[in-house]
Amino acid sequence: MSYLSRSGLAVLVAVAALGCGKEPYEERTDPTAAPFAEFGKRVDAYVTLRDSLAQKMGPLDETKSQSEIAARATTLGTLIISARDSAKQGDLFTPEFSSIVTTLIKTEYSRRTDSVVEQREDAQEELPNFVPAVNMIYPTTYPLATFPPTLLPLLPQLPPDKLEYRIVTRYLILRDVEANLIIDVMPNAVP
Amino acid sequence: MKTLSTIALAVIAAGMPGPAAAQSRSQAPAQPALVLPLKNNSVRFLVIGDGGTGDKSQYEVGAQMIRYHQRFPFTFAILLGDNIYGSERPQDFTKKFERPYKALLDAGVEFHAALGNHDDPNQKFYKPFNLGGQRYRTFKKGNARFFVLDSNYLDPEQIAWLEKELAASGSDWKIAYFHHPLYTTARRGPEVELRTVLEPILLKHGVDVVFQGHEHIYERLSPQKGIQYFTAGGSAKLRSGDTKTGELIKASFDTDRSFMLVEIAGDEMFFQAVSRTGATVDQGTIRREMGDSAAKVSAPPKRPGRRPAAPAPKKP
Repeated sequence: MSYLSRSGLAVLVAVAALGCGKEPYEERTDPTAAPFAEFGKRVDAYVTLRDSLAQKMGPLDETKSQSEIAARATTLGTLIISARDSAKQGDLFTPEFSSIVTTLIKTEYSRRTDSVVEQREDAQEELPNFVPAVNMIYPTTYPLATFPPTLLPLLPQLPPDKLEYRIVTRYLILRDVEANLIIDVMPNAVP
Repeated sequence: MKTLSTIALAVIAAGMPGPAAAQSRSQAPAQPALVLPLKNNSVRFLVIGDGGTGDKSQYEVGAQMIRYHQRFPFTFAILLGDNIYGSERPQDFTKKFERPYKALLDAGVEFHAALGNHDDPNQKFYKPFNLGGQRYRTFKKGNARFFVLDSNYLDPEQIAWLEKELAASGSDWKIAYFHHPLYTTARRGPEVELRTVLEPILLKHGVDVVFQGHEHIYERLSPQKGIQYFTAGGSAKLRSGDTKTGELIKASFDTDRSFMLVEIAGDEMFFQAVSRTGATVDQGTIRREMGDSAAKVSAPPKRPGRRPAAPAPKKP
């Protein structure tokens, strides 16, 4: 792969976090470790909650009925919103985590070639353009922006097919896939 | 690069390149002008890209698919994403999928969908799309192995899965399809980031052909590093005049909607691109040849306005 590994970027993040005037050898521990671990715990807690709610509805098997699929997504979304009615921005994306991820994204974006930047600009018309918020159903009138595949390996892994990262304008959002629900938002994360 | 039993793809017959040439052939024939050979035990399929608008164009293209199905009884269709545009209520699935393709569904044609950027990932649960509850999957038809990818969210799990499945896929035709184009001449351009990650894997495991959508045109590109790419995202929406000429492109059609018919027999893949009016806008054959690593893709030089250099397959 031509892109940096997460550990490689962690070094860059470490340098950025420590400030230019400090020698990197002064801090050899991975500065992403604790915030990423905390994020992992919060993701686990969310997944435990949403799985318990999903189990009340039984498994969603492949079905011919689109009505069943849509009804389940709506019901699950409603249950999650109700269970997290006091949820707010930053519940999962803590400030420490957000700071690291923002630097990480900025670093990754700065490594993009001109052709990549140009192509992404050309694709703007296909990108969603709304202000995301916690406990908001992702508007189905907007497409889901393709997530940069070079960025995904650098972010903490999420439970596949339950949670995913997406980009909406300059926000990084955390989305519950099945419920089509925005779980947390990180403003100004994307250059 | 492909190694060991390198497969050379040779496009031995090609349609007329260039949108102007294609436009001149877009008049409707009285009968479907099938150019595919209909060989015994061949794998036959339909290619639909960006079809889910529910508008008049989708229905007109669907009607041509049904006409061609009577001459060319394909058993399955691949959907290149943007299967359902806009709202995805139950009635939308009826209007934008079940009704325009009803005759095909009634005839038992299987639809195997990939997800596009306008598709709710929950489409993976919609049984007629045959995703089996997964965003990406593989399936086999005859001597062809298909890899259905979710190019919207190419996470490390999907990449690991693809590596594993490709490595285990043997010597079948390896055909990948997904929504976003790795190569295209369309105005929005290729998905370079996606190509950075995906192309090395496709090359490493000898993928032969890629079908991609997203751009609302038809393109047959010059083989790239041994892989033949088709863009077929014009099955309902159209970006008129969106293709460019140049070395990258071998044939294109951007003056009307289109779809593709494909037949695989042994080491040959026959293809035919058809317009909304039923005209053939591109045709040709791709041949796999087992050889050493020096074997390269060969194709006839571009001759705008000329007929294919090699004879077209016999009509049934």
